[in-house]
Order: sequence, then C-alpha cells, then structure tokens
Amino acid sequence: MTPAPPTDGSPPIPPEDREVRSRIGPAARRFAPLAVLISLLSAVGAIEPSFLSLYSLNVLADESSVILILATGQTVVILLGGIDLSMAAVASLASVLIALALPAIGPGTLVGVLALTTLIGSVQGLIHARAQMPSFIVTLAGLGVWSGLALIIAQTTIPVAAGYSAVGWLESNSAGVPNSFSFALAALMVLAVALRRLPLGRYIYAIGMAERVALLSGIRVGRVKILGFALAGLFSGLAGMAMVARDSSGSPTIADSLLLPSIAAVVIGGTSITGGVGGLGRTFIGALTITVLRVGLATIGLDPAYEPIAYGVLVMSAVALTIDRSKAQIVK
Amino acid sequence: MTEPVLRVEGLSKSFAGVCALDDVSIDVRPREVIGLIGENGAGKSTLLKVLAGVLRADRGRIIVRGTPVSSVNVAAAAASGIGIVFQEQAVLPNVTVAENILLGHERRALRAGFYDWRTLYALAVTQLDKLGAGISPSALTATLSFGERQLVEIARALAIEERTRHEPIILFDEPTSMLDAHGTETVLGQIERLRLRASVVFVSHRLDEVLRVSDRICVMVNGRCVSTRDRAMCNIADLERLMLGRELDAAYQQQAPLSTHGRKVRLSVRALSRQNSYQGVSFELHAGEVLGIAALAGSGGESLCRTLFGAERADTGEIVLDGRAVRLREPADAVRLGIGYVPAERRLEGIVGGLGVRENMTLAHLDELRRGPFIDLAGEEQLVKSWIQRLRISTPAADTPAHDLSGGNQQKVVLAKWLIGRKLKLLILDHPMRGLDIGVKAEMFALIRELAREGLGVLLVADTVDEVMALSHSIVVMKDGVISGRFPATAAKPSRLQVLERMV
Repeated sequence: MTPAPPTDGSPPIPPEDREVRSRIGPAARRFAPLAVLISLLSAVGAIEPSFLSLYSLNVLADESSVILILATGQTVVILLGGIDLSMAAVASLASVLIALALPAIGPGTLVGVLALTTLIGSVQGLIHARAQMPSFIVTLAGLGVWSGLALIIAQTTIPVAAGYSAVGWLESNSAGVPNSFSFALAALMVLAVALRRLPLGRYIYAIGMAERVALLSGIRVGRVKILGFALAGLFSGLAGMAMVARDSSGSPTIADSLLLPSIAAVVIGGTSITGGVGGLGRTFIGALTITVLRVGLATIGLDPAYEPIAYGVLVMSAVALTIDRSKAQIVK
Repeated sequence: MTEPVLRVEGLSKSFAGVCALDDVSIDVRPREVIGLIGENGAGKSTLLKVLAGVLRADRGRIIVRGTPVSSVNVAAAAASGIGIVFQEQAVLPNVTVAENILLGHERRALRAGFYDWRTLYALAVTQLDKLGAGISPSALTATLSFGERQLVEIARALAIEERTRHEPIILFDEPTSMLDAHGTETVLGQIERLRLRASVVFVSHRLDEVLRVSDRICVMVNGRCVSTRDRAMCNIADLERLMLGRELDAAYQQQAPLSTHGRKVRLSVRALSRQNSYQGVSFELHAGEVLGIAALAGSGGESLCRTLFGAERADTGEIVLDGRAVRLREPADAVRLGIGYVPAERRLEGIVGGLGVRENMTLAHLDELRRGPFIDLAGEEQLVKSWIQRLRISTPAADTPAHDLSGGNQQKVVLAKWLIGRKLKLLILDHPMRGLDIGVKAEMFALIRELAREGLGVLLVADTVDEVMALSHSIVVMKDGVISGRFPATAAKPSRLQVLERMV
C-alpha cells in the first residue's frame, strides 16, 4: 500500500531539500584554532602563573620547534590530499645518521643526510603517484622500513662524539629566542611564501581540492605530488637534525612519539585532512597548541597519562569547530 | 478508459535557476508502456529521477493509484510500487545475484539476523523466473555480463510487486544506450514481457525502439512534455519533427559556410582507434574551422576528445598538430602544445569549486603569468578582470569561490581558462552547452563563432543536432565508435534529418 503521509487531499511536494549547514560562520571557523590556543594558554597560566614567564615561554618555544618542523612538512602532504606516516621514522633515521657521521665527516654530514631524507620522501611520492597506491599505505610501509633501518644501524642511543657545533647553534638563543624555534619558523615562512606565491602552491591546493580538474588543466599532478613528498622528506631530515641538537645524540626511536602530535598539529590548526583547505599559518597555531598542551599539562602537575586523552579531545573538538560542513554535500 | 496507475500533475524542477522540468503532466495506465523521448537536457532523466524519489520536485504532484505520494527517497517510492532501472548500473558487483535482488528487503530471508541462504535464493529465483532469466542466484554479480546484470536490476525492480501486492511501475532510464544490437533485443524483449505484469516508463534516444515497444510516446522538449501520442498515430519522422521542432532562437542560426581552401590544416587525425571506444577515426580540422562531431553518449565522441587532450590513450593511429605528429602522454603535454579542453562534467572536471574565479581561470597558464619564479599577482588580477568583463561573467568578485557561480558562469570560467593562453591553437569542447540555459547558450554560440573567426581550430562534440548544426562548418557523425557520416564544409549543408539518421 502507499505509505503516503496522512492525506487531506493533496500534500504538495516539499519545495526545497534541506541543506546541511555548518553551525558556525566561516569567520568563527577561521579563528577558532587561535581562540583554542589562547584559552589554553590562559587556562594553564591561571593555574600556574609562572607558566607565562619569559623563561617558560622560551622553553615552550624551544620545545615546539621539532613538532613545528614535522607539522610544516606534513601540511604540504595533507594539502595535497595525502598523508605521510613515515616522517617521524625518517627523522629518527636522520638523527642516527647525523650522530654517527658528524665526528668523521663534519658539517657536510648535514647536507648528505638532508639529501638522503629528501630522496626517501621522493621515492615514497613516486611510488604513491606512479603506482597509484594510497599515500597512507606507502608511508605506513615506509614507517616500518625506515625505523627498522634505523634500528639496524644503531641499536641504541648514539651520542655525538665530536663535531656537535655543526648542529649545536640551534640550541643557543638569539635576542632571547631559541635558535631552533627561529629556524623552524623561518623554514615554515619560506614554505608559506612558496605556497602563496609560486605556481607550485596553487597546484598543490588545486590537486588537494579536485585532482581530476587539476590534471585536466594540464598540471603534472604526479610531479607535484612527488615534490610534496620530497619536501616532507626534507623536513623530516630537518626535524632529525634539530633533535640531535637538542639531545646531543641520535636514537632510532627519538621521534617516534612525535608522529601523531605533528599530524594533530596540522588538523588542530584547521587544515582539512581531505586536502586543499588550510595552510601553514594554521599549522603554526596548531603546533603551538599541541606544545602548550604537552608542556602545560606537565606544568600543572597532571599525570602524563592524561596527555594523549587531552590530544584526543582537542583534535576532535578542533575538527568539529573548523570543518566546513556545507562542502560535505554530494557533488552533483 | 482505465484509471491511470500513475498520474503526474504539473511537475516542475529547477537546478540552480535552470529549469529542467516545466509543468509536466503524464498518465500511465495499467500494463501500459510509455516511451519518453527528447534531446539531451530535455528533462527525461530528471522526470524519472523525481518519480523514483531520487530527486525532489519543486512543484507538482505524483499520484499512484489515486493516492498522492511524497516520495522523499527511493525506498518510499518503492513502497508505493515504483521501481527504477538506472542508466548506469546500480548493482553491487561484490555480492551474489540474490543479495542484489533483495537488497534492503532481505527480512523474509533472515533467520535470527543471519541469511537463510536457501530462502534467499528461492526468493531471488521467483523474481528471475518472471523474466525467464536463467541466472544462478548464487553467482557473484561481478562475473555476469552487462546484459545479465541489467536483468538483475530489472528483477530487483520487479520484487516490488510482492511487497506492494500491486503490479509495479518500472522506470527505465536509457536501458539500451550502452548495449549492442543483441543486448538491445534482450532488453526490448524484457519490456514486452513486463507488459504482462507491470506498467513501464521507458526512456530512449533510439526512436525505432520506442516505436516498437511503446503504447504511447511522450515527447519532451526543454523540460516540457510537448506531445503525447499513440504509437499508431506517429512515425519516426513525426517524432523527429516534434523533438527538434522548437522555434529556433537567434542563437541557432546556422554557421556561415567556410571555404577551407588554402587554410592551414591545424589538426589531422589518422586512423585513430581505442578498444571499446572508437575505431579508425580520421578527419582534418583547419585553422578557423569549427568541426562538429555529432554523437550520442557512448558513441566514442567523448573518448575521442579525451584522447586528443592526452587524458586517454589511443591504441593505434596518429595525431598530427600543425603538420607534426604529437605524442600526448598526459594532458600537460597537450596544454603545452596549445590544446584546450572544456570537459562535459563541469563540476567534476572543469572547475575547482573551492578555489576562486581568479585561481580557476589562471590554473592552466600560471607559467605565462610569472614574474621571476613568483606568480605576478597584480598582472593576474588585471587579466582575470578583463576576461570577466569580456565574457560577461557575473560574479560578485574575482575571488568568489567558483562553486557559488551559476552553471553558465562556471562554464564561462572554464572557457576563459583556455582563452587566456597565449598560444591556444585548438579548443576541444565536450558537450559545452550541457545544462546551460538559453541565454548563456546564445552567448556561447556567439563566442565560439568569434573564436573561430580569429583563427582558432574548434572541435565540438555534442549530442544535440541543433547545437552541432548551428556551430559547425563541417560535421562528422559518429555511431557506435565509427564515423557514420561526413558533411565537409565545402559540401552543401546537410539537413537535420540527414545528421540525425546517421546518429541513431
């Protein structure tokens, strides 16, 4: 039988489909991550006022640098619509190689290792783009391979026996700001300018939003993707270098705990995990938020076990606040 | 006369301001086969989708056996006895035939939440038997042929019969467009068979088929049902006249003849073949010439376009641009050679919805807009604004996201994307007027003519005869992947009928 609604003759067909609307406006969405960062800072500051002292902020900046570097590289890949799960493993591998080779080869080591991590990234990008394998899978495999390789090369922590000064400059301060932080910020800004002003930047956004359109506009999609993953590789190497500077040693597991926080930093900043929307300014906010969370929770004396829980809640709420649901419609 | 099982009253539906259905009314009587014909964009598929609950109408009523239905989704439409067989097959390839047939209505075949396979198969066989189809219910759907999968879809639509205890109304959206002669016979046979237990609404491009199986034929033009006739009362010529017989707008004035004598051959295609798409296609396109390829969907026209733009590869044959054989490995190669492509699927292939008009327009030619390594933003802005003006793109700002524009304005942006290129030689237009309203169409027509006058080579693929006739100097007709007719610019203009009869 017809399951028509109770009829009083003629129910007209409803005029308009309901649209899925975001609960908050675009402006609020854009500034939500910054608001989260500021409220988090003030909350920790309210409980523990010394957290906002110049000294603490200096420590905070220093602490954020590695996450910032990793998140910067990750942002490029995520904007392309992919993900690089191997970044932390490559950073660890880089730290081991740097620690081993610095005494013998000296500063040239850095050039060699960064070239190597860039190559690692491009190979992963090549496999992803040419063999049509999801980047998630390729870099998950990479995560295994590179961390295994790091473990084979060095079973344990390798102190930098000599030549530390090649990376040590990252650990001093200039004008009261840790060099590692300035360095990470500078790298982020160079890349941000590239994304905004180079054709490459446009290509990255276009591919992340609509790969097929990009392809049919004559963009060499494969090449851009390989370049994106190569950049992620380069930034993994830079992160490894910064960690050798911080710990005066390399270790095959040195960056392992930073993989998820660095991805979380990108997402919390408001860059869409599906690609094409977001940017490095947002990642900067996200990386700071993650760091405040890590350091802040310890400062107010919370059990470190709560830290991952706080991440989880924060990632979820950040995405809930920043996602633009009006785009979730089916494309007609 | 018997009461209609399905009555449609005053149905209207617009997409982004473009009217797809305009006050359509139709009756379907019990065990009647209605043939629905019309050019592309006439609203046939939209009508079926509204009836099946896939789309919602803006105005109007659907009445099934005297009861008005507000079909908000396919399940509700099915519950009122309407089933649809989609143009693109909607069966799950990775499960069995029986699961597909009973998808969403497995309850009778469940025991404690698990499939009782014997009952499931038995229920599926009941449906398959109605069609006399000897398909095993336990076969994996992916292993079936195209025609067999279509039978599975029909069987699924027929299963509505048991659930509603009424004879169902089955809608077919171009069931034969992708089939060869043998497959077509099978489907037409099925429709004949269905007449004994169901009412059928059947959309097709092929008039001979429609005349064969339909009791009555409804002709749609521009979203309106202009005529409904008994089969006995009409022949192919009548139907063609009804389909095309709208008053011709100024936009549809015929393209002026062109002498290709002494003109440079811009593009020469030699014996190009691609398996399952097109075979042995050869033609020449001169500078300043619009070459129209008239082809129905799936006749190879779209695929040929993609090949000439480097997005698909040909198996054999040669593409010669300005006297040089070219190899197009990806679209970027074609763009570098000065080839532009306006795809048929604007939303999926033409426009990056989230990017602004400016970014969309310059996406293909950023290398020409550089100052040093950087994009010359000021120059870009100026260029984009001049094109917004020249093409009269109505957009609030140059940076408005492209998805906020109407379809017609989006299409202008896609065109501008190629026109800003300094070395554009050949523009490939794949169904460029699809979904555009008449006003924008007229502008597009004028623009394409102007571009040709300026010396651009234009390759146009379209499935509406009017469009091809109005724009092209020379016409090539494709049917089932091969060229079935040629009307060079030098010869006399063909009549519409001459073109149409070579298409279908």
